[in-house]
Amino acid sequence: MNLILDFAPPLVFAALGGVLSERAGVVNIGLEGMMRFGAFAAAAGAIFTGSPWLGLACGALAGAGAAAVHALLSLRFRADQVVSGIALNLVALGLVTYLLQAMFGSPGVSPEAPALPRDRFGHSALAYAALLAPLLFHVWLRWTPSGLRVRAVGEHPRAAATLGVRVLPLRALCVLGSGVLAGVGGATLSVGLLGQFDSRMPAGQGFMALAAVVFGGWTPLGAAAAAFFFAAGDALQRQLSFSLHAADLRLEGIFLALPYALTLAVLALGIGRARAPAADGVPYDPEG
Amino acid sequence: MPDLRARIFAPAKDPLWGAALALLASLALSFAAIALSGRDAPAGFADLAAGAFDGRGPLGETAVKTAVLLLAGLSVAVAFAVGLFNIGAEGQLIWGALAAALVGRSQVPFVLLWSLLAAAAAGSLWALLAGWLKVRRGVHEVISTILLNWVAIHLVHGWLVAGPFAAPGSGAEVSVAGTARVVPAAWLPRPIAGSRLDAGFFLALAIAVAVWLFTTRTVRGFEWRAVGAGREAAEASGIPAGRRICEAMALSGALAGLAGALLILGTEHRYPGVFRTGYGFDGIAVALVGGGGVWGSALAAFVFGALRAGATRLQLVGIHPSFAELTQGLAVLLVAAPRIFQPLLARLRGRSAPIPAGDA
Repeated sequence: MNLILDFAPPLVFAALGGVLSERAGVVNIGLEGMMRFGAFAAAAGAIFTGSPWLGLACGALAGAGAAAVHALLSLRFRADQVVSGIALNLVALGLVTYLLQAMFGSPGVSPEAPALPRDRFGHSALAYAALLAPLLFHVWLRWTPSGLRVRAVGEHPRAAATLGVRVLPLRALCVLGSGVLAGVGGATLSVGLLGQFDSRMPAGQGFMALAAVVFGGWTPLGAAAAAFFFAAGDALQRQLSFSLHAADLRLEGIFLALPYALTLAVLALGIGRARAPAADGVPYDPEG
Repeated sequence: MPDLRARIFAPAKDPLWGAALALLASLALSFAAIALSGRDAPAGFADLAAGAFDGRGPLGETAVKTAVLLLAGLSVAVAFAVGLFNIGAEGQLIWGALAAALVGRSQVPFVLLWSLLAAAAAGSLWALLAGWLKVRRGVHEVISTILLNWVAIHLVHGWLVAGPFAAPGSGAEVSVAGTARVVPAAWLPRPIAGSRLDAGFFLALAIAVAVWLFTTRTVRGFEWRAVGAGREAAEASGIPAGRRICEAMALSGALAGLAGALLILGTEHRYPGVFRTGYGFDGIAVALVGGGGVWGSALAAFVFGALRAGATRLQLVGIHPSFAELTQGLAVLLVAAPRIFQPLLARLRGRSAPIPAGDA
């Protein structure tokens, strides 16, 4: 249980970011890259300012900065959203390693960064935030006028536009918010859990968050539940290999592959009628 | 909504020019980045060029990396032809590499040929899964191939290579872990002494020519492109679109699988315990920068291959080799938004910018 509360928060935040962007109609393959920028900026910020909280803010800002590039390319220049996301991931991979080497002189890990304080159960505030955030997000998306507007531009942007919603600015705002959430998710990895940045971060967690978005049917509660479920699988795997000496069986790979295989199965079998927002990935041209 | 190719590449009417421009611009940007960080950029680029082109050894390195990038890029480009975005080249490459490593261990006649075929078949099957999910179950290929990548990565790296297929005796130490070595008869021959250039380079070039001939000069290739340009229209004129999509995905996966085989049979000679290729993801970059065409992809593969071969020398001036990945990412960012280039391209050709076509 303790392990789940450790593993889940990065996934939950990034998955919520994915939900926010995709519900507004912008596919976000760049979650992995945004998490990477967030994780690095959080560690760097914490090291230079000495405060993990300022580091966390840096992580959120870096995620938003990366998301701004995605928004600019895919909304302003109407690039294909998948391509733009992939480009972001590629740049994040190279640029962060480059910066790590340039700033800290090592391509592997950063120096130790001040970590967020933990309570007596060993959890930082982010773990509890990850429990609360999906509920708040759900209420906002479901019951408030602004949440309705976001859903409208994701389902039928032209109809929303005729009702006076400014589609592109709202989509841009959602992509930025998505970057903040992914950046916080990345920061959770570096200043929240490990206390430093590792050049392998986030090691596919952004893609697992994407799987959680799909598995959870593009809803905040579903995606968060999927993230907790995946984290539980990971925790179980570590417990097993620790207690049963199952490391000899090398089952780790099977456990790690399961979330992706399950998501595929859900999609292939059409369980739960999970459906992407109607206008997800469709560029919007205000004059077209 | 226009088809995938039109959406991604429409404004770049001339893919080869677009590729060259994006590559030059990204190189210029990274040159500026190095200069701004206070390092000797001209010396760095001289080292880069020396590491990529100066003598047999460096040229061989460039050729080896170009071959793998070219096959991975063609894999993605072939899927573009039928309007599919194959993000799964990495997973297909991994299965291909594993198949080549396993078959390559056996003492049979023509083992090299069998290993290559096994790699192509393995990659092909993994890609067909995505094609089938698309055609039969309506699962978008971008999502299914991303998921399939990670299934492959974890199954192969975390289980198969570490467990059932691990070489005897390669226990806890990751550095020596991996599958048993392939027999020397399965190695790709290296015709030039003092260079790691192997037959894989020529194989990749031959395949590139074959893919170009097939997609542009045959009826089946035309049908593929017709499906890519508009599935409903193709179906209305009697082309079985679902079948064509599956065929193209099979070829796409086979090419990625062969890229994996080149890595194993040409360089590694076993499936190593730590094998972080990323070449499948680079293939996406190659195909995108190359405008989805064979020659553009070849140009992009060559430049990225040279960058990777040369980047190891950059450490001499204190620049990390990840510089190559950075430049590659920048190039994709630049082609991602062709509309940035459009006015510039138009001006180069001496006429005013055309009005962009609406997307809706």
